Order: sequence, then C-alpha cells, then structure tokens
Amino acid sequence: MKNYDKLLNDLAPQKFGKKGVIWTISLTVLIILGILAYIDQVIQGQVVTNMNDYALWGVYISNFVFFVATSFVGTITVAVLRLTKNAWRTPIVRIAEIISVAAIIMAGLTIMIDMGRPDRIMNLFIHGRMQSPIIWDVIIIPTFMAISLLLLYFPLLPDFALLKKYFKDEKPTQSKWYGKLALNWTGSDTQKAVQIKSIHLIALLIIPAGFMLQTVDAWLFSTLFRVGWDSTNMGAYFISGAAVAGIGALVAVVYAVRRAYHLEEYITQLHFDKLGKFLVLTCLVYLYFNINEYLIPEFTSKKEEITHLNVLVTGEYAPLFWFVILGGLIVPIIVLLFKKGRKPFPMFLVGLLVVAGSWWKRYLIVTPTLLHPFLPIQGVPESWHHYFPSIHEWLITVATLAMALLIITILFRYVPIIPIQRTADEREELESNKNTEK
Amino acid sequence: MRNQIITRHFFLVVLSVFLCTSSFAQKAKKDRVRLKANYVKIMNAEIYFDLSTSARVDGENIDVSKVELVIFNIVGDEQLELGKVTTNMEGKARFTLKDLSSIKPDSTNTYNIEITFDGNESFKGASKSLSFKNANIDAKIVTIDSIHYVKATVVNKLTDSVIVGQLLKVQVQRLFKPLLIKEFNKTDENGTVLVSIPPGIPGVDGNIAVEVVLNDSDEFGTIKAIVNAPIGTLIVEESTFDERTMWSPRSKTPLFLLIFPNLLIFGIWGIIIYLITNLFKITKS
Repeated sequence: MKNYDKLLNDLAPQKFGKKGVIWTISLTVLIILGILAYIDQVIQGQVVTNMNDYALWGVYISNFVFFVATSFVGTITVAVLRLTKNAWRTPIVRIAEIISVAAIIMAGLTIMIDMGRPDRIMNLFIHGRMQSPIIWDVIIIPTFMAISLLLLYFPLLPDFALLKKYFKDEKPTQSKWYGKLALNWTGSDTQKAVQIKSIHLIALLIIPAGFMLQTVDAWLFSTLFRVGWDSTNMGAYFISGAAVAGIGALVAVVYAVRRAYHLEEYITQLHFDKLGKFLVLTCLVYLYFNINEYLIPEFTSKKEEITHLNVLVTGEYAPLFWFVILGGLIVPIIVLLFKKGRKPFPMFLVGLLVVAGSWWKRYLIVTPTLLHPFLPIQGVPESWHHYFPSIHEWLITVATLAMALLIITILFRYVPIIPIQRTADEREELESNKNTEK
Repeated sequence: MRNQIITRHFFLVVLSVFLCTSSFAQKAKKDRVRLKANYVKIMNAEIYFDLSTSARVDGENIDVSKVELVIFNIVGDEQLELGKVTTNMEGKARFTLKDLSSIKPDSTNTYNIEITFDGNESFKGASKSLSFKNANIDAKIVTIDSIHYVKATVVNKLTDSVIVGQLLKVQVQRLFKPLLIKEFNKTDENGTVLVSIPPGIPGVDGNIAVEVVLNDSDEFGTIKAIVNAPIGTLIVEESTFDERTMWSPRSKTPLFLLIFPNLLIFGIWGIIIYLITNLFKITKS
C-alpha cells in the first residue's frame, strides 16, 4: 500500500509565498511594459526598431532561435533519458517538460512579434511555398508544441487524480478542476497501459521532432548564401547548441525550484551531479562543432569569411564572442569536470552562465552576418553599418523572456513539480527490492 | 468715426496689395520648358517622334512629367493637328505615325512638324519645330569568302538618288544596349557601306539582329534598318520557366518536396491524433 500523504504534503502545488508574489508581479510588470512597446510597434511600424535594410533580422530572431533551442530540453532530457532507462531523471522531467512547453510557446509568439504586419500571418499558410525553410518552420513549431503539450499532459493524469482527492475538502473548486484534467483517471490497468504506451510513443516521437525543429531552425540560416551561415555544419551545430541551452536552463530552474519549494529531499546532489555530467558532455560536443564552424573558414581564408571572423574575434563583437566561448562553454566545461563544480550552487551559477552565453550566441549568429553582405554597404547612413536593439526591441524581448518565466511559474503553481505517482511507484519498488534482499 | 474710415481704407489697401503681389508671385514662379524632338524611322516598321520635356527649376534640371504635347504638321500656312501625347514620369513621350503618307510635305518635299506645349500653372508654354526629308536604308547580309557582311545603301527618296559620304553606324541588338560593331562607316559613291560582322556573336537559335543606323541627321532624322540573320552562335536557352524547381512558385514545387515533407507532416500529425484519441480512451475506460 502506497503512502501518498507525505508525498502530497511535500509535492502538491502550494500558494505563492511573499517572494513568489513579488516575483510574479515583477514578471507581470515587465510583460505589460513589453505589450505597450509592442502596441506602439504595431501602430508606428518597425521604424521603432533599429533594424534596417541590412540588419533585417535583429534581436527578435536571436531571441526566437534561443527559445527554439531551449525547447529542446524536453527532447534531450525527458525522452532520451527515458529511452535510455536513466531512473534518476524522475524529479527533473516535469521541470524539463514545463520549460520545453513555455519555450516553444514563446518561440511561436516571438516570430510573430518580428513580423512587420502581424495581421497578414495567414498569408504564410495561404501563399507559403514548400521550397522555403520559413514554411518548414511554420509547420514544425506548432507540431512540436502539440507534442510537448502531450508529453507534459500524459504523465500528469495520475497526479491530477491524486490532487483532486487531496484538495477535495480544502479547496473544492481547485479539486474540481483537477478532476476534469484527470480525465476520470482511476489507475485501472487499462488506463495505465494506454498511458504508458502513449508516453513511450511520445518519447519516441519527440526525438525526431526535436531534431527536425532544430535542423529547420539551422536551415533558415544555412540555406542562405551568407558569410557565417552558408555551412553544412549548421544542423548539427544547432542541435548540440540547443542541448547546451536546454540543459543549462534546466539546471538553473531546477536549482531555483528546489530552493523555493524546499525539495532537497527529492532533488538531491546526485541529480545535480548527473545533470552536470550531462551538461559537460553537451558542452564538449558543442565546442567541437564551434571549432568546426570557425576553424575551417579561418583555414580556407576566403576574404569575406576572414572579415567576418575578424569582426567576431578581434573587432566590434569580440567582447560578446569571447564571453560566449569562454563564459558559455570553456568555463562551464572546466568547472563541471570537477566533482565540486557539480554541487548545486556552482551548478546554478554555471547554468546561468550557460543560458546567458546561449542567448548571446544566437545574437552573434544572426547579427554580424547580416552586417557583412557580399556586396559592400554603400550610400546609406553610417548607423546602418551597425546594429544594436532599440528600447522598443529590448522591452519586447525582455517581456518575452518574462512571459516564458511566467508560464513556468504559473505551471509550477498548479501542477506538481515532481511527479507524485511516479515517485511513489519508484519508492514502493525500492522498498520491495529491499525486502526481497532481506 | 474717422478712425473707423481710416481703418477700413487701411484694410482695403493691405488686401489689394496682398492680392496683387500674390497673383504676381504666382506668375513669376512659372518656369520655361525645354522641348526636344527626334524623328525616327525604322525601315519596314514604325515611324515615330521621340519627345522629351525638361526644365531648369531652382538651379536643377528636372524632367517635366504629365504635360500634354500637341503635334502639328505644318504645310505652308496650314497647321494640321496630328494628335496629342502626355509625357511620362521621366518627361518622355512617343508619338507614332501610321506611315509617312499620313503627313504632308511642303513644296520642297520637306516634312515640317511642330510640337507645342500650351503651358500650365507651373510652366510657360513652349514649342519646337522639326524638319526632315524622307530617306531609306536598304540593308542585307552578304557572305563573301565565308565572312558575313552587312551591306547597306542610303537613298534620298525625294530625288531617288543614293547619298554619298553619309556616316552610318552598324550594331547588333542585345538585351539592354546594342553591341557596336563599327561606328563611323562612310557611304561610298554608290551610297553603300559594307561592314563585316565578327563571328561568335551569340543569338537565340543562332539568329542575330543587325542594325544599320543613320543617327540624328539634320536633314533626314534618324533612320534604322534591321536585318535578322542566322549568322550568330547558337545559344541554348537554359530557362527553367514552368519547371518544378526550388525557385518556382508554389504551384511548381518539386515533387520530392511535396511528397517527403508531407509524408513526415501527416505521419507525425497522425500519431498526435492517435495520442489525443488515447486521452479519450483513458476518459472512457
């Protein structure tokens, strides 16, 4: 007989504390500021941005690519760890699923923000050409969103049923909602069989879907004949980069959640150690692709490539470039190779560093290339030779990041952060194994 | 009372001065329009007048667009209106004649044309006269010792005699601008020039169009004879128009891009729908 009481007391969604309320209000304020800036952008047009004829993709597209990359966390942790039967994953999979859902929703919204005429969004579907990678993106994002939502929802069914009972007397309205979301879950063998089969199928499906999403995102760039983008390396480069961004975000959120909800008993040092090893592996793979991406153009020394590389390595973008390479990759690798570096707090700092590095990495992929077309930039104002986001762009971008965090926060408020049913099952299994050994 | 009368008179004076100066200012603003006119005759094809209007406004030369020009045929004291044209955004207009017999020459067999602009609120009226005689260029391709030549003779139609010592230009039609073969070719005592066409000029199906031009002559205007001949190097047109390519419109998407991605899309969405039906199964069981 399973004892759910302690688990439910520890893991059932709780009201926000004082800090939680302040956090939510802060995010809401940032979102409102972003919405106001966006309304102004729609009214005045994209003249309020600092984008121009050359830098026609700016911070919005960088941010979009970052969200797409972060959404890969669902694929890389939940599905891959499930299929490779890594049992330690249980306390972190829900967090990964939630990050994945929030990131892919925001990726879809961000790309609309970049549109000069959002009212014409349907034209993408009406007049879209299958030859264009943009259409592949338009197709794969809703597809991945649907899969990510299903990946989050199926494992939640038994937990919703437990929460329905748990809140029955205390919070009847909330209990009613959990009941509806539980879809009459009783834990019958038939229901369990369908659920397990479905989760397994989603885990199988989200891997190719995730790879397709990242690859299509990479092809948006590599199918264009531009310096820094025209590379066959891009698909694998983006997939490995997405793994880094996703796991980095996961590490940071896991630490914050563990601390905020006092989940030290469930998310232990072992989990950070495993996540740390996972992150260092992905960082090494990504470093390998970075070397490919920068070293080969350096060797072949085509004039345009060298100009582009010089701008990155020693020129205008050098501080950002070295922050991304050293801060976002080399330092995390060095820190995580040591056991002490895989303790929760150092891991949190490394996670934040990796996320910041990943965000700026997308900025470096998008912007410098656009400012180095094959035909020289002539007869335009001096400011068109450079790009830095305007206040509107920053407000809107910060709002999208805040919105992603708000989605995560709200989901943490209403769904169990750690799967209750699965934790109970695993504990029971552990107990029975111990008894058998005795 | 006296003050009121003074005020009224003062007001009337100010008003009159304002009205006079403003109407004078409007008139003073008008600029002069410069008209240019060229008579062009394409042998066995069209005859037209190329007209252009420009003006110097505030120290800058500008094209005068959207102005109406009237074309007259002057015969003695008679002025016969041939038609009207309006200049385009570049200040240009073309007036095409049905044929030369639709206008009348004067007693010296010279055709006199006058182009007039009546003026408008911005520009003063202007006119331009044009006189020309009728001449023909007969051109053909001849081959001597495997070398292709264009042979052209200029004939004054008034006297039906050849024109000696006239400079003709020989060029080949290209997409954007003619390819000059030889610019200064003087007609001999037979009124003829013989210019060799260099081999290797590419043309669709090996055809090239050789032009012999009498350019902007004071007496005869511009006369152009065009000879089409299969003496160019054959070029194979590599147009992919109407083929299924990566750069075609959506109706011409390559088949592999229709089949493979759609198989993936429908395959994945099929599984998603199956998973959603599983949710219903869970609800019902």
